[in-house]
Amino acid sequence: MTALELIGVSKRYGRRYALRDVDLSLAPGSALGLLGPNGAGKTSALRMLLGFTQASAGTVRLQGLSPRDPASRVGVAYLPERLLLPGRMTVLSFLRHHAALAGLNGAELERDVEAVLEQVGLSARALDRLGSLSKGLIQRVGFAQAFLARPKLLILDEPTSGLDPIGIRDARDWILTARQRGCSILVSSHLLSEVERTCDQIAIIDEGTLVAQGRLDEVVEDGEALEDAFVRLVGR
Amino acid sequence: MRPAATTIFCALAGEAFRDAMRRRIVPVIAVFALLSLLAVDSCTSCAGSSQVVQNGVQVTASDISGWTGMLIFTVLSLWMMVLAGLLASDHLAEPVLDGSANLVLARPVKRSEFALARLAGALGIAAATGAVVLTVSAYLLHLRNGVPLGAAIWAGLACAAGALVVAALAMALSLRLARVATAMSVLFFVGAITLVNAFTLFGASLGKLGDILQHFAPPLCTAVVVALKPWIAPVAPEVDPTIMALKLAFWVVASVLILLATFNRQELGS
Repeated sequence: MTALELIGVSKRYGRRYALRDVDLSLAPGSALGLLGPNGAGKTSALRMLLGFTQASAGTVRLQGLSPRDPASRVGVAYLPERLLLPGRMTVLSFLRHHAALAGLNGAELERDVEAVLEQVGLSARALDRLGSLSKGLIQRVGFAQAFLARPKLLILDEPTSGLDPIGIRDARDWILTARQRGCSILVSSHLLSEVERTCDQIAIIDEGTLVAQGRLDEVVEDGEALEDAFVRLVGR
Repeated sequence: MRPAATTIFCALAGEAFRDAMRRRIVPVIAVFALLSLLAVDSCTSCAGSSQVVQNGVQVTASDISGWTGMLIFTVLSLWMMVLAGLLASDHLAEPVLDGSANLVLARPVKRSEFALARLAGALGIAAATGAVVLTVSAYLLHLRNGVPLGAAIWAGLACAAGALVVAALAMALSLRLARVATAMSVLFFVGAITLVNAFTLFGASLGKLGDILQHFAPPLCTAVVVALKPWIAPVAPEVDPTIMALKLAFWVVASVLILLATFNRQELGS
């Protein structure tokens, strides 16, 4: 069973296509970097995978199930590009809330929350209100909620957005650690170098159409950097 | 494995209630509730004469106090319904529009669980306010006007059902309309139904549209008045309480289903 799959998927908003006949899949334990210029359709693909929107045509599968089925999201964690958190909650209460929704309870919940706080370096800020945190720290909270309950599949939309260079390096380490644990990862990003370092496969979408998908060495030609391949395939 | 539905619902509803509590409108509601209670206290504190002759008709103090009590309780009930509608008018739409709902709905959470929890959160504030205002009012009316308390319990339940209907419909509408337009719709909806119900109770008609509303719209005002029938006997309107209860129950189910269907079809952005 694939971790996620799009088969002949199209998404139309009125007469405009956000995605057109896209086939995409992610094998368990792999990490796929979804690349494309702004407005290419990357976020639309993620939204369909999580059941936020429905495909106009084609089949979407998340862990073998329809994304409309909540069971498809068991063991799935998501970090959106624009992370809006309830400012009045503390970091700790926010993570406890999400841990409960992820199926944890009792001592296991407390242990897991403590572990993710430690992992993202927020143990000392656990009792701070989310509204008082900087953008970078908010992003760390976003990562912390994503790592709760040891997810089997991580869906990350621009995960390094708002992070400073140290934060970016930390985020890369966290993603690689999750991969080593066998977690499947789908990353949508503009940062080609980050995708290169964290993913073993890439897919490039341009104007709603999938223009390339495969292992890095399959998409990038000899003597070419990922950036060159990206420009060549997107054709701008 | 997906957590139990009750665990998810309790976690979400608790969060939705806390979210509702921090809204700026809550202190305003508290002040209005207090003013309402002061008004009820003032309206019920003066004792009437034992009997009055009005246009040749003999009216006893008990008739007057019964009608006064019914009027006060019905107005307060309608107030609670409007309050529930206003609180619900952005309690689901806001997290959907700003994208904060996405983080929760990316978990193994059903959309219906999220929508019902948000509805419960909004209704929690209205229910707490209603419980205080209506209980104190009923007690004062019982103590000073001598009306039976049992009827107030049924009227309170009719008010709770009406509040749920108004809140669920407002929440569904808020997914399609802007916040102000939804709030205006709540006021118009409750106002129009109250007007039609009141005219019909007194044997008058508001034309064809009024008749349609009276037959098919939720009986927000009529249900409360019918529950308070013992307060205004023997001149109470002739409406079958069973039919009224069934009509209200139908609307409770229908309004929640409308909300769930609307939210299930909602495309989530951000």
